Amino acid sequence: MSDQPITNLSEPRSASNWAAATGSWLPAVILLLATIIVWEAVVRLFAISAFIIPAPSEIAQSLVAQWATLMQATLVTAGEILFGFLVSVVVGIAIALVIVRFDWLGRALYPLVVLFQNVPKVALAPIFILWFGYGLAPKIGLILVIAFFPVTLSMLAGMQSVDRSLLSLMNSVGASRTQILFRIRVPHSLPNLMAGTKIAATLSVIGAIVGEFAGASDGLGYVIQFASTQLDTALVFAALLLVSVLGIAFYYAAEILERIIVPWAPKFSHA
Amino acid sequence: MRMEPIRAAGGRPAHIRHDDDLISVKGVSVVMARQLVLQNIDLAIPKGSFVSLIGPSGCGKSTLLKVLAGLVNPTSGSVSIAGLSPVEAARKRMIGLVFQDANLLPWKNAVDNASMLLGIADRSLSRADLRARGQEMLELVGLGDSAHKRPNELSGGMRQRVAIARALALDPAVLLMDEPFGALDAITRDQMGQSLLDIWQRTGKTIVLVTHSIDEAIHLSRHVHVMGIKPGRITESLDIGLPYPRDLSVTEDPEFVRLVVQLRVMLRASHQPGGAS
Repeated sequence: MSDQPITNLSEPRSASNWAAATGSWLPAVILLLATIIVWEAVVRLFAISAFIIPAPSEIAQSLVAQWATLMQATLVTAGEILFGFLVSVVVGIAIALVIVRFDWLGRALYPLVVLFQNVPKVALAPIFILWFGYGLAPKIGLILVIAFFPVTLSMLAGMQSVDRSLLSLMNSVGASRTQILFRIRVPHSLPNLMAGTKIAATLSVIGAIVGEFAGASDGLGYVIQFASTQLDTALVFAALLLVSVLGIAFYYAAEILERIIVPWAPKFSHA
Repeated sequence: MRMEPIRAAGGRPAHIRHDDDLISVKGVSVVMARQLVLQNIDLAIPKGSFVSLIGPSGCGKSTLLKVLAGLVNPTSGSVSIAGLSPVEAARKRMIGLVFQDANLLPWKNAVDNASMLLGIADRSLSRADLRARGQEMLELVGLGDSAHKRPNELSGGMRQRVAIARALALDPAVLLMDEPFGALDAITRDQMGQSLLDIWQRTGKTIVLVTHSIDEAIHLSRHVHVMGIKPGRITESLDIGLPYPRDLSVTEDPEFVRLVVQLRVMLRASHQPGGAS
Protein backbone atom coordinates (compact mmCIF):
# COMPACT_ATOMS: atom_id res chain seq x y z
CA MET A 1 0.00 0.00 0.00
CA SER A 2 2.41 2.58 -1.15
CA ASP A 3 -0.28 5.16 -1.66
CA GLN A 4 -0.63 5.59 2.10
CA PRO A 5 0.86 8.59 3.88
CA ILE A 6 4.19 8.11 5.54
CA THR A 7 3.46 9.15 9.09
CA ASN A 8 5.65 9.64 12.14
CA LEU A 9 8.69 10.24 10.02
CA SER A 10 9.62 13.49 11.71
CA GLU A 11 8.44 13.24 15.32
CA PRO A 12 9.61 10.03 16.94
CA ARG A 13 9.89 10.76 20.69
CA SER A 14 8.66 7.70 22.49
CA ALA A 15 10.05 6.25 25.73
CA SER A 16 12.35 3.86 23.90
CA ASN A 17 13.74 6.78 21.89
CA TRP A 18 14.53 8.64 25.08
CA ALA A 19 16.39 5.58 26.32
CA ALA A 20 18.29 5.48 23.06
CA ALA A 21 19.10 9.20 23.30
CA THR A 22 20.41 9.04 26.87
CA GLY A 23 22.16 5.81 26.03
CA SER A 24 24.04 7.60 23.25
CA TRP A 25 25.11 10.35 25.68
CA LEU A 26 26.23 8.01 28.40
CA PRO A 27 29.53 6.76 26.89
CA ALA A 28 30.68 10.35 26.25
CA VAL A 29 29.89 11.38 29.83
CA ILE A 30 31.71 8.36 31.22
CA LEU A 31 34.78 9.07 29.09
CA LEU A 32 34.79 12.72 30.19
CA LEU A 33 34.59 11.80 33.88
CA ALA A 34 37.30 9.17 33.45
CA THR A 35 39.58 11.70 31.74
CA ILE A 36 39.12 14.20 34.58
CA ILE A 37 39.86 11.54 37.20
CA VAL A 38 42.99 10.31 35.37
CA TRP A 39 44.13 13.92 34.86
CA GLU A 40 43.72 14.72 38.54
CA ALA A 41 45.52 11.50 39.54
CA VAL A 42 48.46 12.01 37.16
CA VAL A 43 49.01 15.63 38.22
CA ARG A 44 48.99 14.66 41.93
CA LEU A 45 50.99 11.44 41.49
CA PHE A 46 53.82 13.05 39.54
CA ALA A 47 53.56 16.39 41.39
CA ILE A 48 53.32 18.32 38.14
CA SER A 49 53.65 22.04 38.72
CA ALA A 50 50.36 23.96 38.56
CA PHE A 51 51.75 26.52 36.10
CA ILE A 52 52.45 23.75 33.58
CA ILE A 53 49.29 21.65 33.94
CA PRO A 54 46.87 22.53 36.73
CA ALA A 55 44.74 19.73 38.19
CA PRO A 56 40.98 19.89 37.45
CA SER A 57 40.41 20.69 41.12
CA GLU A 58 42.73 23.70 40.86
CA ILE A 59 40.92 24.90 37.75
CA ALA A 60 37.64 24.59 39.64
CA GLN A 61 39.07 26.57 42.57
CA SER A 62 40.29 29.28 40.22
CA LEU A 63 36.87 29.37 38.56
CA VAL A 64 35.19 29.93 41.93
CA ALA A 65 37.76 32.43 43.22
CA GLN A 66 37.72 34.55 40.06
CA TRP A 67 34.01 34.04 39.36
CA ALA A 68 33.04 37.72 39.23
CA THR A 69 35.94 38.68 36.94
CA LEU A 70 35.35 35.68 34.69
CA MET A 71 31.61 36.31 34.39
CA GLN A 72 32.22 39.92 33.46
CA ALA A 73 34.76 38.82 30.83
CA THR A 74 32.35 36.15 29.56
CA LEU A 75 29.60 38.74 29.08
CA VAL A 76 31.95 40.99 27.10
CA THR A 77 33.08 38.13 24.86
CA ALA A 78 29.54 36.80 24.45
CA GLY A 79 28.42 40.26 23.34
CA GLU A 80 31.19 40.42 20.74
CA ILE A 81 30.33 36.94 19.46
CA LEU A 82 26.60 37.63 19.25
CA PHE A 83 27.01 40.99 17.54
CA GLY A 84 29.73 39.76 15.20
CA PHE A 85 27.74 36.62 14.37
CA LEU A 86 24.60 38.59 13.51
CA VAL A 87 26.55 41.00 11.30
CA SER A 88 28.24 38.04 9.56
CA VAL A 89 24.91 36.34 8.86
CA VAL A 90 23.29 39.52 7.53
CA VAL A 91 26.27 40.42 5.33
CA GLY A 92 26.72 36.79 4.21
CA ILE A 93 23.06 36.56 3.13
CA ALA A 94 23.20 39.94 1.39
CA ILE A 95 26.26 38.95 -0.65
CA ALA A 96 24.64 35.63 -1.66
CA LEU A 97 21.42 37.39 -2.73
CA VAL A 98 23.31 39.96 -4.79
CA ILE A 99 25.38 37.25 -6.51
CA VAL A 100 22.28 35.26 -7.48
CA ARG A 101 20.00 38.16 -8.39
CA PHE A 102 22.41 40.26 -10.46
CA ASP A 103 24.34 38.16 -12.94
CA TRP A 104 27.07 40.65 -13.83
CA LEU A 105 27.62 41.71 -10.24
CA GLY A 106 27.75 38.05 -9.22
CA ARG A 107 30.35 37.29 -11.86
CA ALA A 108 32.41 40.21 -10.54
CA LEU A 109 31.89 39.52 -6.86
CA TYR A 110 32.09 35.75 -6.53
CA PRO A 111 35.74 35.28 -7.62
CA LEU A 112 36.79 38.13 -5.32
CA VAL A 113 34.94 36.58 -2.38
CA VAL A 114 36.66 33.24 -3.02
CA LEU A 115 40.02 34.97 -3.45
CA PHE A 116 39.53 36.78 -0.16
CA GLN A 117 39.14 33.41 1.53
CA ASN A 118 42.82 32.77 0.89
CA VAL A 119 43.84 35.75 2.99
CA PRO A 120 44.84 34.44 6.45
CA LYS A 121 42.27 36.44 8.34
CA VAL A 122 43.86 36.02 11.74
CA ALA A 123 46.70 38.12 10.33
CA LEU A 124 44.24 40.95 9.76
CA ALA A 125 43.67 41.37 13.50
CA PRO A 126 46.54 43.85 14.10
CA ILE A 127 45.40 45.94 11.12
CA PHE A 128 41.85 46.06 12.48
CA ILE A 129 43.20 47.21 15.84
CA LEU A 130 45.14 49.91 13.99
CA TRP A 131 42.04 51.04 12.11
CA PHE A 132 39.30 50.64 14.71
CA GLY A 133 41.07 50.87 18.08
CA TYR A 134 40.65 48.63 21.11
CA GLY A 135 36.86 48.57 21.41
CA LEU A 136 34.08 46.42 19.96
CA ALA A 137 34.55 47.43 16.30
CA PRO A 138 37.77 45.51 15.47
CA LYS A 139 36.30 42.32 17.00
CA ILE A 140 33.12 42.65 14.94
CA GLY A 141 35.24 43.29 11.85
CA LEU A 142 37.39 40.23 12.47
CA ILE A 143 34.40 37.97 13.17
CA LEU A 144 32.77 39.29 9.98
CA VAL A 145 35.71 38.46 7.70
CA ILE A 146 36.10 35.03 9.30
CA ALA A 147 32.44 34.01 9.53
CA PHE A 148 30.52 35.49 6.57
CA PHE A 149 31.95 33.07 4.00
CA PRO A 150 30.26 29.82 5.10
CA VAL A 151 26.98 31.74 5.25
CA THR A 152 27.37 33.07 1.71
CA LEU A 153 28.63 29.80 0.30
CA SER A 154 25.95 27.59 1.88
CA MET A 155 23.15 29.92 0.85
CA LEU A 156 24.49 30.10 -2.71
CA ALA A 157 24.65 26.30 -2.87
CA GLY A 158 21.05 26.08 -1.63
CA MET A 159 19.75 28.70 -4.05
CA GLN A 160 21.51 27.14 -7.02
CA SER A 161 20.41 23.56 -6.32
CA VAL A 162 16.76 24.19 -7.20
CA ASP A 163 15.50 21.45 -9.51
CA ARG A 164 15.47 22.47 -13.16
CA SER A 165 12.00 21.15 -13.81
CA LEU A 166 10.67 23.27 -10.95
CA LEU A 167 12.25 26.29 -12.65
CA SER A 168 10.63 25.13 -15.91
CA LEU A 169 7.26 25.13 -14.17
CA MET A 170 7.85 28.65 -12.88
CA ASN A 171 9.05 29.90 -16.27
CA SER A 172 6.07 28.37 -18.06
CA VAL A 173 3.68 30.61 -16.12
CA GLY A 174 5.91 33.64 -16.69
CA ALA A 175 7.40 33.99 -13.21
CA SER A 176 9.89 36.87 -12.90
CA ARG A 177 13.45 36.43 -11.68
CA THR A 178 12.59 38.16 -8.44
CA GLN A 179 9.56 35.91 -7.92
CA ILE A 180 11.68 32.81 -8.50
CA LEU A 181 14.32 34.17 -6.13
CA PHE A 182 12.06 34.94 -3.21
CA ARG A 183 9.36 32.29 -3.66
CA ILE A 184 11.60 29.37 -4.58
CA ARG A 185 15.33 29.92 -4.26
CA VAL A 186 15.47 31.64 -0.88
CA PRO A 187 13.15 29.25 1.01
CA HIS A 188 14.81 26.31 -0.76
CA SER A 189 18.21 27.52 0.48
CA LEU A 190 17.19 27.78 4.15
CA PRO A 191 18.31 24.28 5.23
CA ASN A 192 21.73 24.90 3.63
CA LEU A 193 21.85 28.40 5.06
CA MET A 194 21.22 27.10 8.56
CA ALA A 195 24.08 24.61 8.18
CA GLY A 196 26.36 27.50 7.17
CA THR A 197 25.04 29.56 10.06
CA LYS A 198 26.08 26.87 12.54
CA ILE A 199 29.62 26.94 11.12
CA ALA A 200 29.57 30.75 11.35
CA ALA A 201 28.54 30.50 15.03
CA THR A 202 31.62 28.40 15.78
CA LEU A 203 33.91 30.66 13.75
CA SER A 204 32.50 33.73 15.54
CA VAL A 205 33.88 32.41 18.84
CA ILE A 206 37.33 32.03 17.26
CA GLY A 207 37.09 35.52 15.75
CA ALA A 208 36.23 37.11 19.08
CA ILE A 209 39.10 35.41 20.96
CA VAL A 210 41.63 36.23 18.22
CA GLY A 211 40.39 39.82 18.24
CA GLU A 212 40.91 40.02 21.98
CA PHE A 213 44.37 38.47 21.73
CA ALA A 214 45.38 41.14 19.25
CA GLY A 215 44.39 43.96 21.55
CA ALA A 216 41.76 44.27 24.25
CA SER A 217 41.33 45.36 27.82
CA ASP A 218 38.48 42.98 28.58
CA GLY A 219 36.93 39.66 27.62
CA LEU A 220 37.93 36.01 27.98
CA GLY A 221 40.72 36.30 25.39
CA TYR A 222 42.19 39.15 27.41
CA VAL A 223 41.90 37.08 30.62
CA ILE A 224 43.71 34.16 28.94
CA GLN A 225 46.57 36.38 27.80
CA PHE A 226 46.82 38.24 31.08
CA ALA A 227 46.70 35.05 33.19
CA SER A 228 49.37 33.33 31.09
CA THR A 229 51.77 36.26 31.59
CA GLN A 230 51.14 35.82 35.33
CA LEU A 231 51.80 32.06 35.01
CA ASP A 232 48.27 31.57 36.44
CA THR A 233 47.64 28.53 34.24
CA ALA A 234 44.63 27.44 36.29
CA LEU A 235 42.90 30.73 35.38
CA VAL A 236 43.86 30.22 31.71
CA PHE A 237 42.13 26.84 31.79
CA ALA A 238 39.13 28.27 33.62
CA ALA A 239 38.75 30.93 30.93
CA LEU A 240 39.23 28.28 28.21
CA LEU A 241 36.45 26.25 29.77
CA LEU A 242 34.13 29.26 29.61
CA VAL A 243 35.11 29.94 25.97
CA SER A 244 34.16 26.33 25.16
CA VAL A 245 30.86 26.70 26.99
CA LEU A 246 30.15 29.85 24.95
CA GLY A 247 30.98 28.01 21.74
CA ILE A 248 28.67 25.13 22.59
CA ALA A 249 25.91 27.53 23.66
CA PHE A 250 26.08 29.47 20.38
CA TYR A 251 26.16 26.28 18.34
CA TYR A 252 23.06 24.89 20.01
CA ALA A 253 21.30 28.25 19.81
CA ALA A 254 21.88 28.11 16.05
CA GLU A 255 20.58 24.56 15.96
CA ILE A 256 17.40 25.49 17.85
CA LEU A 257 16.96 28.39 15.44
CA GLU A 258 17.27 25.90 12.59
CA ARG A 259 14.46 23.74 13.94
CA ILE A 260 12.21 26.77 14.27
CA ILE A 261 12.99 28.21 10.83
CA VAL A 262 13.13 25.05 8.73
CA PRO A 263 10.90 22.46 10.41
CA TRP A 264 10.46 20.72 7.03
CA ALA A 265 14.17 20.07 6.55
CA PRO A 266 15.35 16.48 6.88
CA LYS A 267 16.66 15.82 10.39
CA PHE A 268 19.78 13.81 10.88
CA SER A 269 20.21 11.83 14.05
CA HIS A 270 23.61 11.79 15.71
CA ALA A 271 22.85 8.48 17.39
CA MET B 1 -5.37 16.74 -45.38
CA ARG B 2 -3.03 13.91 -44.63
CA MET B 3 0.04 14.05 -42.44
CA GLU B 4 2.42 12.19 -44.67
CA PRO B 5 5.14 10.78 -42.39
CA ILE B 6 2.71 9.30 -39.90
CA ARG B 7 1.20 5.99 -40.82
CA ALA B 8 -0.36 3.32 -38.72
CA ALA B 9 0.64 -0.27 -39.21
CA GLY B 10 -2.41 -0.95 -41.34
CA GLY B 11 -1.36 1.73 -43.81
CA ARG B 12 -4.34 3.97 -43.14
CA PRO B 13 -3.66 7.56 -42.21
CA ALA B 14 -3.08 7.97 -38.53
CA HIS B 15 -4.64 11.38 -38.51
CA ILE B 16 -7.03 13.29 -40.54
CA ARG B 17 -6.48 16.88 -39.57
CA HIS B 18 -9.63 18.49 -38.22
CA ASP B 19 -10.49 22.04 -37.42
CA ASP B 20 -10.71 20.97 -33.80
CA ASP B 21 -7.02 20.07 -33.60
CA LEU B 22 -5.79 21.81 -30.48
CA ILE B 23 -2.12 21.26 -31.14
CA SER B 24 -0.50 21.14 -34.51
CA VAL B 25 3.19 20.46 -35.02
CA LYS B 26 4.60 20.92 -38.51
CA GLY B 27 8.04 19.84 -39.61
CA VAL B 28 9.65 20.45 -36.23
CA SER B 29 13.35 19.64 -35.89
CA VAL B 30 15.46 20.35 -32.85
CA VAL B 31 19.25 20.50 -32.83
CA MET B 32 20.93 20.59 -29.41
CA ALA B 33 24.69 20.51 -28.89
CA ARG B 34 25.11 19.66 -32.61
CA GLN B 35 22.90 16.59 -32.22
CA LEU B 36 19.73 16.19 -34.21
CA VAL B 37 17.40 15.46 -31.29
CA LEU B 38 14.14 15.65 -33.23
CA GLN B 39 13.76 15.27 -36.97
CA ASN B 40 10.83 16.60 -38.95
CA ILE B 41 8.05 15.92 -36.46
CA ASP B 42 4.50 16.26 -37.71
CA LEU B 43 1.78 15.79 -35.18
CA ALA B 44 -1.84 16.80 -34.84
CA ILE B 45 -3.54 16.45 -31.48
CA PRO B 46 -7.32 16.84 -31.48
CA LYS B 47 -8.98 18.84 -28.76
CA GLY B 48 -10.02 16.68 -25.82
CA SER B 49 -7.99 13.65 -26.86
CA PHE B 50 -5.60 11.57 -24.80
CA VAL B 51 -2.35 11.04 -26.67
CA SER B 52 0.74 9.10 -25.58
CA LEU B 53 4.29 9.40 -26.87
CA ILE B 54 6.25 6.21 -26.35
CA GLY B 55 9.75 5.24 -27.39
CA PRO B 56 13.21 4.19 -26.27
CA SER B 57 15.49 6.42 -24.23
CA GLY B 58 17.03 9.09 -26.39
CA CYS B 59 14.15 9.26 -28.87
CA GLY B 60 13.47 12.86 -27.89
CA LYS B 61 9.96 12.31 -26.51
CA SER B 62 10.67 14.53 -23.51
CA THR B 63 12.19 17.15 -25.79
CA LEU B 64 9.06 17.05 -27.95
CA LEU B 65 6.97 17.63 -24.83
CA LYS B 66 9.20 20.59 -23.91
CA VAL B 67 8.72 22.00 -27.41
CA LEU B 68 4.95 21.78 -26.90
CA ALA B 69 5.38 23.51 -23.52
CA GLY B 70 7.46 26.32 -25.01
CA LEU B 71 10.47 25.35 -22.91
CA VAL B 72 12.55 24.37 -25.95
CA ASN B 73 12.47 26.33 -29.19
CA PRO B 74 12.40 24.22 -32.34
CA THR B 75 15.36 24.78 -34.66
CA SER B 76 12.95 24.62 -37.60
CA GLY B 77 9.27 23.99 -38.11
CA SER B 78 6.31 25.41 -36.25
CA VAL B 79 4.06 24.57 -33.34
CA SER B 80 0.64 26.00 -32.81
CA ILE B 81 -1.58 25.56 -29.79
CA ALA B 82 -5.05 26.90 -30.56
CA GLY B 83 -3.38 29.28 -33.01
CA LEU B 84 -0.83 30.54 -30.49
CA SER B 85 2.86 29.81 -30.06
CA PRO B 86 3.63 27.53 -27.10
CA VAL B 87 5.12 30.41 -25.09
CA GLU B 88 2.05 32.58 -25.69
CA ALA B 89 -0.19 29.65 -24.79
CA ALA B 90 1.76 29.06 -21.56
CA ARG B 91 1.44 32.72 -20.60
CA LYS B 92 -2.32 32.42 -21.10
CA ARG B 93 -2.31 29.49 -18.68
CA MET B 94 -3.29 27.07 -21.43
CA ILE B 95 -0.54 24.58 -20.55
CA GLY B 96 -0.33 22.46 -17.42
CA LEU B 97 2.93 20.61 -16.80
CA VAL B 98 3.58 17.49 -14.77
CA PHE B 99 7.06 15.93 -14.52
CA GLN B 100 8.33 12.64 -13.14
CA ASP B 101 9.38 14.39 -9.93
CA ALA B 102 6.43 16.11 -8.26
CA ASN B 103 8.70 19.04 -7.34
CA LEU B 104 6.49 20.20 -4.51
CA LEU B 105 7.75 22.95 -2.22
CA PRO B 106 8.58 21.15 1.04
CA TRP B 107 7.76 24.22 3.13
CA LYS B 108 4.19 24.49 1.83
CA ASN B 109 1.28 22.18 2.55
CA ALA B 110 -0.66 20.35 -0.16
CA VAL B 111 -3.28 23.03 -0.75
CA ASP B 112 -0.71 25.84 -1.00
CA ASN B 113 1.41 23.70 -3.33
CA ALA B 114 -1.63 23.03 -5.50
CA SER B 115 -2.35 26.76 -5.89
CA MET B 116 1.30 27.92 -6.05
CA LEU B 117 1.62 28.25 -9.85
CA LEU B 118 -1.81 29.82 -10.16
CA GLY B 119 -0.73 32.45 -7.62
CA ILE B 120 2.29 33.30 -9.78
CA ALA B 121 0.29 33.31 -13.01
CA ASP B 122 -2.55 35.45 -11.68
CA ARG B 123 -1.43 37.93 -9.08
CA SER B 124 -4.90 39.41 -8.70
CA LEU B 125 -6.16 36.36 -6.79
CA SER B 126 -6.40 36.66 -3.02
CA ARG B 127 -4.97 34.12 -0.64
CA ALA B 128 -8.47 32.88 0.10
CA ASP B 129 -9.25 32.51 -3.62
CA LEU B 130 -6.05 30.52 -4.09
CA ARG B 131 -6.80 28.28 -1.13
CA ALA B 132 -10.32 27.61 -2.40
CA ARG B 133 -9.04 26.77 -5.87
CA GLY B 134 -6.28 24.57 -4.43
CA GLN B 135 -8.78 22.71 -2.27
CA GLU B 136 -11.12 22.20 -5.23
CA MET B 137 -8.27 20.73 -7.28
CA LEU B 138 -7.12 18.48 -4.43
CA GLU B 139 -10.65 17.11 -4.24
CA LEU B 140 -10.60 16.48 -7.98
CA VAL B 141 -7.44 14.36 -7.63
CA GLY B 142 -8.81 12.56 -4.55
CA LEU B 143 -6.75 14.32 -1.90
CA GLY B 144 -9.42 16.57 -0.41
CA ASP B 145 -8.67 15.49 3.14
CA SER B 146 -4.89 15.93 2.92
CA ALA B 147 -4.89 19.67 2.27
CA HIS B 148 -2.83 20.56 5.32
CA LYS B 149 -0.21 17.86 4.99
CA ARG B 150 3.33 18.79 4.03
CA PRO B 151 5.00 16.87 1.16
CA ASN B 152 7.12 14.83 3.59
CA GLU B 153 3.87 13.48 5.08
CA LEU B 154 2.62 12.32 1.67
CA SER B 155 3.49 9.16 -0.27
CA GLY B 156 5.03 9.32 -3.74
CA GLY B 157 1.66 8.73 -5.40
CA MET B 158 -0.01 11.42 -3.29
CA ARG B 159 2.73 13.91 -4.08
CA GLN B 160 2.20 13.27 -7.77
CA ARG B 161 -1.53 13.82 -7.29
CA VAL B 162 -0.72 17.24 -5.79
CA ALA B 163 1.48 17.96 -8.82
CA ILE B 164 -1.45 17.12 -11.11
CA ALA B 165 -3.74 19.32 -8.98
CA ARG B 166 -1.20 22.16 -9.30
CA ALA B 167 -1.26 21.85 -13.10
CA LEU B 168 -5.07 21.62 -13.22
CA ALA B 169 -5.44 24.69 -10.98
CA LEU B 170 -4.34 26.81 -13.95
CA ASP B 171 -7.38 25.41 -15.82
CA PRO B 172 -5.15 24.67 -18.81
CA ALA B 173 -6.47 23.52 -22.17
CA VAL B 174 -3.77 20.87 -22.37
CA LEU B 175 -2.00 18.78 -19.77
CA LEU B 176 1.56 17.84 -20.76
CA MET B 177 2.92 14.98 -18.66
CA ASP B 178 6.48 13.69 -18.81
CA GLU B 179 6.58 10.18 -17.32
CA PRO B 180 4.46 11.35 -14.38
CA PHE B 181 4.18 7.86 -12.88
CA GLY B 182 7.67 6.67 -13.78
CA ALA B 183 8.95 6.70 -10.20
CA LEU B 184 5.97 4.87 -8.71
CA ASP B 185 5.53 1.18 -8.02
CA ALA B 186 3.33 -0.93 -10.31
CA ILE B 187 0.17 -0.95 -8.16
CA THR B 188 0.27 2.77 -7.41
CA ARG B 189 1.01 3.38 -11.06
CA ASP B 190 -2.15 1.53 -12.14
CA GLN B 191 -4.23 3.47 -9.60
CA MET B 192 -2.76 6.78 -10.75
CA GLY B 193 -3.41 5.93 -14.39
CA GLN B 194 -7.02 5.12 -13.63
CA SER B 195 -7.39 8.35 -11.63
CA LEU B 196 -5.93 10.30 -14.53
CA LEU B 197 -8.49 8.72 -16.89
CA ASP B 198 -11.31 9.73 -14.52
CA ILE B 199 -9.96 13.28 -14.31
CA TRP B 200 -9.66 13.43 -18.08
CA GLN B 201 -13.26 12.32 -18.54
CA ARG B 202 -14.55 14.75 -15.96
CA THR B 203 -12.58 17.79 -17.14
CA GLY B 204 -12.34 17.18 -20.89
CA LYS B 205 -8.71 18.34 -20.93
CA THR B 206 -6.44 17.40 -23.79
CA ILE B 207 -3.68 15.20 -22.38
CA VAL B 208 -0.29 14.44 -23.89
CA LEU B 209 1.53 11.75 -21.92
CA VAL B 210 5.15 10.71 -22.34
CA THR B 211 5.61 7.17 -21.07
CA HIS B 212 7.87 4.14 -21.14
CA SER B 213 5.04 1.76 -20.38
CA ILE B 214 3.24 -0.06 -23.18
CA ASP B 215 0.38 -1.06 -20.86
CA GLU B 216 -0.03 2.47 -19.58
CA ALA B 217 -0.10 3.92 -23.10
CA ILE B 218 -2.79 1.48 -24.27
CA HIS B 219 -4.82 1.58 -21.06
CA LEU B 220 -5.09 5.36 -21.13
CA SER B 221 -4.71 6.78 -24.61
CA ARG B 222 -6.85 7.25 -27.65
CA HIS B 223 -3.78 7.64 -29.87
CA VAL B 224 -0.25 6.36 -29.33
CA HIS B 225 2.72 7.73 -31.27
CA VAL B 226 5.81 5.56 -31.35
CA MET B 227 9.12 7.38 -31.54
CA GLY B 228 12.47 6.06 -32.76
CA ILE B 229 16.07 6.99 -32.11
CA LYS B 230 18.93 8.45 -34.10
CA PRO B 231 17.47 10.81 -34.96
CA GLY B 232 14.42 11.21 -32.72
CA ARG B 233 11.36 10.93 -34.89
CA ILE B 234 7.83 9.57 -34.97
CA THR B 235 8.01 6.14 -36.59
CA GLU B 236 4.47 4.90 -36.25
CA SER B 237 1.11 5.82 -34.84
CA LEU B 238 -1.56 3.62 -33.42
CA ASP B 239 -5.21 4.38 -32.70
CA ILE B 240 -6.53 2.64 -29.62
CA GLY B 241 -10.11 1.65 -30.40
CA LEU B 242 -10.99 0.36 -26.94
CA PRO B 243 -14.16 2.12 -25.79
CA TYR B 244 -14.15 4.59 -22.90
CA PRO B 245 -14.78 4.63 -20.01
CA ARG B 246 -11.99 2.14 -19.45
CA ASP B 247 -10.93 0.63 -16.17
CA LEU B 248 -8.17 -1.79 -15.29
CA SER B 249 -10.24 -4.76 -16.51
CA VAL B 250 -9.52 -3.48 -20.02
CA THR B 251 -6.07 -5.03 -19.66
CA GLU B 252 -7.70 -8.46 -19.88
CA ASP B 253 -9.55 -7.61 -23.09
CA PRO B 254 -8.30 -9.65 -26.11
CA GLU B 255 -8.12 -6.42 -28.12
CA PHE B 256 -5.86 -4.91 -25.41
CA VAL B 257 -3.58 -7.93 -25.60
CA ARG B 258 -3.47 -7.69 -29.39
CA LEU B 259 -2.57 -3.98 -29.18
CA VAL B 260 0.19 -4.71 -26.65
CA VAL B 261 1.76 -7.20 -29.07
CA GLN B 262 1.40 -4.78 -31.97
CA LEU B 263 2.89 -1.88 -30.03
CA ARG B 264 5.75 -4.05 -28.79
CA VAL B 265 6.64 -4.96 -32.37
CA MET B 266 6.57 -1.27 -33.33
CA LEU B 267 8.75 -0.36 -30.36
CA ARG B 268 11.29 -3.03 -31.19
CA ALA B 269 11.57 -1.62 -34.69
CA SER B 270 11.93 1.90 -33.26
CA HIS B 271 15.07 0.85 -31.38
CA GLN B 272 16.87 0.55 -34.71
CA PRO B 273 18.62 3.73 -35.75
CA GLY B 274 16.99 5.07 -38.87
CA GLY B 275 18.40 7.03 -41.78
CA ALA B 276 15.98 9.23 -43.65
CA SER B 277 12.53 8.25 -42.45
